[in-house]
Amino acid sequence: MSGSTNPDRAKSAVAVIPYAGASTIAAKVIAAHVSGYLNLTVETRPPEKIPPDALDKRRRQYNAATLIQTIESMHRKDCFKVIALFDVDLFTPIFTHVFGEARQNGRVALVSLFRLESHMNGSSPPTDRVLERAAKIALHELGHLLDLLHCDDDRCLMYFSGSVDTLDQTGFNFCRYCRTALRRKLRQEGIIDTPT
Amino acid sequence: MDIMIVDDERIIRESFFHWFQKSGHKVATAASGKEALEKLAETPFDLLFVDIKMPGMDGIELLAAVKAAYPETLVIIITAYGSIESAVQAMRIGATDYLLKPFKPDQLSLVMEKVVQQQKRQSEYNYLKGRLEKITRFDNIIGQSPAMTAIFELITEVAGADASVLLAGETGTGKELIAKAIHAKSPRANLPFIAINCGAIPDTLLESELFGHQKGAYTGAIQERRGFFEVVNGGTLFLDEVGEISQKMQVDLLRVLEEKKITRVGSRQPVAVNFRLITATSRDLEAQIRAGDFREDFYYRIHVIQIDIPPLRKRREDIRLLAAHFLKKFCHETTKRVDRISPLASRVLETYDWPGNVRELENAIERAVVLSKSRLLNDSDFAFLRPPPVTATPGTSLREMEKYHIRRILDRHEWNVTRAAKALEINRVTLHKKIKRYQLKPAGGKIGSR
Ligand SMILES: Nc1ncnc2c1ncn2[C@@H]1O[C@H](COP(=O)(O)OP(=O)(O)O)[C@@H](O)[C@H]1O
Ligand SMILES: [Zn+2]
Ligand SMILES: [Zn+2]
Repeated sequence: MSGSTNPDRAKSAVAVIPYAGASTIAAKVIAAHVSGYLNLTVETRPPEKIPPDALDKRRRQYNAATLIQTIESMHRKDCFKVIALFDVDLFTPIFTHVFGEARQNGRVALVSLFRLESHMNGSSPPTDRVLERAAKIALHELGHLLDLLHCDDDRCLMYFSGSVDTLDQTGFNFCRYCRTALRRKLRQEGIIDTPT
Repeated sequence: MDIMIVDDERIIRESFFHWFQKSGHKVATAASGKEALEKLAETPFDLLFVDIKMPGMDGIELLAAVKAAYPETLVIIITAYGSIESAVQAMRIGATDYLLKPFKPDQLSLVMEKVVQQQKRQSEYNYLKGRLEKITRFDNIIGQSPAMTAIFELITEVAGADASVLLAGETGTGKELIAKAIHAKSPRANLPFIAINCGAIPDTLLESELFGHQKGAYTGAIQERRGFFEVVNGGTLFLDEVGEISQKMQVDLLRVLEEKKITRVGSRQPVAVNFRLITATSRDLEAQIRAGDFREDFYYRIHVIQIDIPPLRKRREDIRLLAAHFLKKFCHETTKRVDRISPLASRVLETYDWPGNVRELENAIERAVVLSKSRLLNDSDFAFLRPPPVTATPGTSLREMEKYHIRRILDRHEWNVTRAAKALEINRVTLHKKIKRYQLKPAGGKIGSR
């Protein structure tokens, strides 16, 4: 094999996979945003089953760490990065819940619609608002997969939002610095080669 | 930020680790209080997350140990629901905040915000404290000149050592003040500080003052009396104007320093003594040694460490600060309301040569405050610092008048020769010639260049 071409390049760079009952429309919206914002090839895959061992029976939530591990092992070679979309509630050992989760420089990002679709007071937001939030979380977590750190600029997608309110307030853009870091990373990985 | 997670549960440590990694923090982990303390001993940490319930050393014990040894390290306590009591206790002994596990993501960001704020306050505080206390103030010694700043550092360094210190400087430069500061910072601080001005006491009296005497040792010695060597009792003995001591006395003192024993006048029974010696001189002791007035062996004994205090005219940047300090002091003492020194008066103070150094400045401010009728000290309030002006009496020569007038105009124009020449309506070359002929010099030693 020649070293200069990335074997992943022939396939899509990013795969968006809805799990169980997660909306395929949401998956498509996320895919559209990723390809629009990052200029990457993205495909939406058919729904898959949630790995059963990720369910914590006591908390009645799904363990994000377990999900990442399992999905990583299932999609080892067929794409560069995976965005896994859920309609169940996700948690980590320290947090009551997470909207999304990804490891720095990892392969798999999780996005959960669970807390975006209904508010704590029982009301539900309009669908386009939910989709917008899901897309922001997906871009944020994908940013982590591409080695971006949290950003101090509260208008940047990499700003950490712990609640839907702050999430709604962040802009729909990466700031100058994050954008530059992102390009450098993608060029390094051989995903893009345009020097813009 | 350097963060350490201390928790006996691996998945908790990993969770924290991954989260902080995403914010670019450096994260270390420890599975026990013991391991945490070992890591702290190796590298400093800004922030610790500590689980309250751990086998062995628990979170509260670790918190107390960290706060005692590394007070600048901030600690966040992690606790499960139901142990609020211990969280409250943790806050009392210095935890920055606590988190009930599991917590909402934005609770952690709030805690981190609080940590950043506290760090900022801490560093601002340290910065200000450092500036105020180290640079312009050292106990009650005022000064911001490089020379004084270096002396502040020396005082701290020297205080801990028990060696003899010789303070060299003109009278009024603050030698006694510095001697007291060395004593106050030394392990002998709680014991007496005794100052003796050797120049002011006749030799025989000095002997009995220092050594004490037995009843009837000489006529007038009606009672037994302990000398300062005994009275000082482990404290610090300050001998001012040590250059004035007679050769015989120098020999006696040298023996005391070597043997740490004294014998009272009129007694044969030696008594053990313990003290630290600080001496001061306004004379050049080395010149005195060359002239045969001062013993070299005694000199080597007392100047193990020497601190030179420059005269005030060599550190003019301290004058304004000292003047403000004395102004405040005397207003407080006299309950007079004088708050300010006019710019013109400041200039007078800053250009005057201060032969009596800080003591003279202190006296000048006191005099001005006492006599002042307004809230502002003007240059006229310090008129006494200048030699009385030459007034044109029938006996004054023209030459004298010209010299005086030229000096006055030069002073007024801060020795800017061009401007002074213009005011005198003569050209610069002529003015330079006259300056040379009358041997005029600016008070501060500087001549304006423009
Ligand atoms: N740096 C200083 N800051 C504040 N006061 C000073 C300073 N130096 C000298 N003084 C004051 O000036 C006076 C003379 O100082 P002193 O220590 O007695 O000088 P010396 O022992 O050299 O004659 C004292 O009242 C002292 O408090
Ligand atoms: Zn993030
Ligand atoms: Zn950014």
